[in-house]
Amino acid sequence: MAALAGLGLAASMSSCRSERAHGGRSNGKIALVIKYQPLGEADAFQRLLRDFERDHPGVSVVAEALPTSSDVAHQFFLTALEGQARDFDLFIVDIVWVAEFARAGWLLDLSPFVAPSEVRRDFLAGLGDAVVFDDKTFALPWYVDTGVLYYRTDLVTHAPSTYQELIFAAERAMRERAEIGGFVWQGRQYEGLVCNVYEAIWGHGGETQQGGHLLLQTDAARAALHYLQSLLRTRVSPPTVTSAGEEEARRAFQAGKAVFMRNWPYAFAESERAGSNLRGKVGLAPLPTVTGEPGHGVLGGYQLGVNARIAEDKRELCIALLRHLTSRAASVELAIAYGRSPARRDAYDDPRLVSEAPLVAALRPAFERARPRPVTPYYMMLSDLLQGEFSAAITGVRSPEEALARAQALVDRLTEVR
Amino acid sequence: MRRALQWCTVAMVLAFATGPLFSQVVTSLRPDRALGGGETPFAWSLANYRGALEGRALGRSLLNSIAVAGATTMLCLGIGSLAAFALAKLRFRGKGLWLGGALAISMFPAIATVSPLYLVIRALGLRDTLGALVLSYVTFALPLSLFLLTRFFREIPDAIYEAARVDGCTPLQAWWHVGLPLAAPGIASTAILVFIFAYNEFLYALTFTSSPEMRTVPVAISLFASNRVEPWGEIAAASVMAAVPLVLVAIVFQRRIVTALTQGAVKD
Amino acid sequence: MQRARTEHTEKAWAAIMMAPAVLVLAAVALYPTLASIWLSFHRLILVFHEQRFVGFENYAFLVKDARFFGALGHTAYFTVLSVTAELVLGLGLALFLQAGPPARTLLRAAILVPWAIPTVVSARMWAWFFTQQGDGLLAALGARDIAWLGTPGYAMHAAILVDVWKTTPFVALLLLTGLVGIPPAIYDAAAIDGASRLRTLFRITLPLVRPVFVVTALLRALDAFRVFDVVYVLTEGGPANTTETLSVYAYKTMMRAGDFGYGSALSVMTFICVLFLAAGYFAWARWEENR
Repeated sequence: MAALAGLGLAASMSSCRSERAHGGRSNGKIALVIKYQPLGEADAFQRLLRDFERDHPGVSVVAEALPTSSDVAHQFFLTALEGQARDFDLFIVDIVWVAEFARAGWLLDLSPFVAPSEVRRDFLAGLGDAVVFDDKTFALPWYVDTGVLYYRTDLVTHAPSTYQELIFAAERAMRERAEIGGFVWQGRQYEGLVCNVYEAIWGHGGETQQGGHLLLQTDAARAALHYLQSLLRTRVSPPTVTSAGEEEARRAFQAGKAVFMRNWPYAFAESERAGSNLRGKVGLAPLPTVTGEPGHGVLGGYQLGVNARIAEDKRELCIALLRHLTSRAASVELAIAYGRSPARRDAYDDPRLVSEAPLVAALRPAFERARPRPVTPYYMMLSDLLQGEFSAAITGVRSPEEALARAQALVDRLTEVR
Repeated sequence: MRRALQWCTVAMVLAFATGPLFSQVVTSLRPDRALGGGETPFAWSLANYRGALEGRALGRSLLNSIAVAGATTMLCLGIGSLAAFALAKLRFRGKGLWLGGALAISMFPAIATVSPLYLVIRALGLRDTLGALVLSYVTFALPLSLFLLTRFFREIPDAIYEAARVDGCTPLQAWWHVGLPLAAPGIASTAILVFIFAYNEFLYALTFTSSPEMRTVPVAISLFASNRVEPWGEIAAASVMAAVPLVLVAIVFQRRIVTALTQGAVKD
Repeated sequence: MQRARTEHTEKAWAAIMMAPAVLVLAAVALYPTLASIWLSFHRLILVFHEQRFVGFENYAFLVKDARFFGALGHTAYFTVLSVTAELVLGLGLALFLQAGPPARTLLRAAILVPWAIPTVVSARMWAWFFTQQGDGLLAALGARDIAWLGTPGYAMHAAILVDVWKTTPFVALLLLTGLVGIPPAIYDAAAIDGASRLRTLFRITLPLVRPVFVVTALLRALDAFRVFDVVYVLTEGGPANTTETLSVYAYKTMMRAGDFGYGSALSVMTFICVLFLAAGYFAWARWEENR
C-alpha cells in the first residue's frame, strides 16, 4: 500500500514540472533561460529582463539563480555542461573559468556578433585578455571586482602606502586600544588566499607569469609569503585570519575588531548601511606595496556567456540579450541598485552613475590597475595546488621556500603531463 | 540526589544538542543589522521569518522538501520492506550477495555518481522535477532501509512466520499480516532516518532542479546569500522553520516505536 | 496437508517480492556506479575535451600519490575518532533515555535537533562559531583568538566535534531501538538475583545490545569514511590540506579540476576501502553466527 502510494506521489511529482518544456517554448513564446547569482534585494535585474521582453515580443526570459559561492556554481556548470545540458541559454562565468569553459567547448564563439576589437574597446583593460582567446570572443564582461584596502578613518590619519606603514599604524592602534586587531585578510585555504598572495607578490615588485609560464620561485614570491607569515606571527593579523574568508574578515572589521582589512568593494556598502556602527568611519585605498606605489588588486568579476549547444535559431536572440545586459544603461542600473562595478568603460562616465553610485565611480582607477590571475584553461587545477602550499606557508607548516619549491614541482608536473 | 543528577544530565544534553539551534533562534529573532557587530539594542522582531517566507518563498520549498522526503520514505518502506521480508524469512540462495550488493551500491561516493546520474535523469526526461529527486534519493536510502529492515524482520521468531504459512498465508500475506505489525518499531526508526536524509540532501537537489517551484529547502537556503553577504537572520529563521517538520515527524514516529514495544508485541 | 514450504514456491515468491527493489536499484543506482568505474579507466579531463581509455594508469598514479595517502590517513583518523565518540556518547544517551529521565518527550525531541537541521546550515553555524574573533563563548572560556579552523591540528578535531554533535542522535536512536527490545523480565530477574546496576549493565545489557551496536558501528563507519559536507563547509580541506579527506580530494579533483578520470579512480578507491570495512563486518557476523 505504502509502495503504491509512494509510487503514485512520485509519478505525480514527475509530471508536475515547470512550464518550460524541452524545446524552450511555453505558451507560444520562445523562452530564454539565464543562470545568474543573486545580485541583491532590488528588482533592477528583473526590470532589465522585462525591458528586453518588451522590446522583443514573443520572447520570455526566465532567470534561474545559483548559489553565490563560486565553487558551487562551478560544480553545477561542470556537471550540467558535461551532461550536455541545453536547458539554459545564458550563464555567468567567473573570470577564472572563461579559459576553461572556452577550451572545453561550452561557450559559444561570439566573434561573428561581437568582434574581439569591440570587446577591447568597450570594456576595461585586462578584461579583454580574460574573454578573448585565439582571437575569438567567448564571453562578455558583466561586472568586475578587485582587492582594496579598507581602513578606519577614525583610528588612523591616512591610508598606509607601504607595508611598513601598515604594520606601524596597526601596531600603534592596537597599543592604544585593547580589543582591536590590526589587519584582517583572507587566509583560509581557498581561492581568496591565492588572491591575497598574488597581491602581496605584486606588491613586492614581482611578476607571476612570464611568457605563459607560472613564476613561483622568485624573490618577490618568497618575500611575499614571509611578509604574510610574519603578519600572523607578530599578531599584527589575528590568528583567526587563517580561517577567514571574505565574510569572516568583513564581520570582524564591521564589529570594530580590526583597523585594516583587505577585501572586495562589496564590504563598503555593508559598512555604510543605515544603522551600521561604522558608518562614515571607513575609507578605501589602494593596497600598500613595498615601494609606496599604489598596489595592484586581483581582477575578479563575472562575465556572461552563451551555451554553445543551443539551437542556431536562438543565437541571435541570446546575443541580443547579452548586449542588452552588458549595455551601458544596464551597467549603470546594476551599479546603482546593487553596487556592482561595471565592466564597461563608458559606464563610468555616465552622470547618473557618478551622482548615485559615487563609490563605484571612484573605484575606476583601482579597476584599471587590477591584474588578472594566470589565464589558463587549467586555472582551477592550478589554484588547487597553490592553495595547499600557500596555506602551508602562512600557517608555518612549511617554510615559504619549501612551499614554493613544492608548488613549482606540482605545477611543472601539471603542465608537462597536460 | 539521584534526581538532581538526572536533571543535571538532562540540562547538559539539552544544552549541547539544542544550544546551537537556540542560538539560531535568537539570531532569527534579531534584525540583521545587529549581527554585523556593534552596539545595537536588543531588538526582537519576526522580520526574518517574514523575509524568509515572503521574500524568499520558503513556504514552497518547505512543501517540496516534505513531499520529496515523504515520497522517498514511502517508496523505500514499501519496496524495501517487501524485499527485506523476503531476505529475512524466505528460503533461497545468495541472500548475502543480494544484501551485500545492494549495500555496496549505496556506498559509492555521491560526488562520482552525480554526473552519470544526471545523464540518466536527462534521458528519462525528469530534469527539473521532484520525481528526479525521489528517484535519486531512493537509490541511496533503499539499500540502507533494506539492511535495517532485514535485521528487524530477522528478529521476528521464525515460528510465527511458519505458523502463518501453515495457516495458508502466502509470503506476501505473511508480510502484510505478520511482518509489518511486528517490526513496526524498526520500520518507524527506518522511516525517520530515511525522511531526514531525503529532507536534508543538497548535492542532487542542486544539480537536478533549477526552477524556483522545484526547489527544496537546503537549496533555497543556499540561495539566500547575495554578493557574498549571508543574511544570517533569515538563514536562521529558515533553518528553524525547516527543522520543525523533521522534529514533528520524529516525535510522531518515536511515539509509535514506544507504544508498539510497550505492548510487548515483539517478544512474546 | 501439503507442506506449504516447497522451495520452488518460496523462490518464486522471493523473486516477486524482491523484484521492485532490484529493478529500482539496477536502473538508477547500478548504472552510475558502473559508469564511474568505467570512467576511472579513462583519462578524462573536461577542459581538454578528450576521453581516452588508459587502463590502470590512473590507479598507477594513485598508489604513488602522496596526497591520496594523506587523505586516506585523515579519513581513517576522522572515522576512528568520530565513530568511537559517537558510539560511546550515543550508548550513554540511549541508556539514559531508557532509564526514564525527567522531561522525556522534550529530551527525545531535542536530541534529534542536530540531526534534523540541514547540514549546509549547521556546518555553517559551527563555522561561524569557530571563526569568531575574540568574542563569544570560546573567549569567555579563556581560549581567545585561537584559529580553530585555521590551525593545523585543531581543525580536524573541530570537524570531528561537529560530526559527533550532528550524528550522536542517529546513533542513540538506533541503539535505543535495540535497548528497548530487551524484555523487562530479564532485568527483573537480575534485580531479584541482587545484581548491581553496573553489573546489570555489563553482564546483561551490553551483550544483548551487541548486535545492534555492531550494526550501528558499521553504518556509522561507512558513513564517516565518506564524510564530505561537514569537512568541506568548515575548512574546505585546509589548512594546508590537513583536513582533506578522501571525499574532499575526490570532489576537488572532479569538480574543480574537472579531472573526471582520476576523480572517479579516487572514488572507486574510497569505495573499495569502504567495502573492506563492510566485508570485515560480514565476516565477523558470520563468525558470530557459527559460534
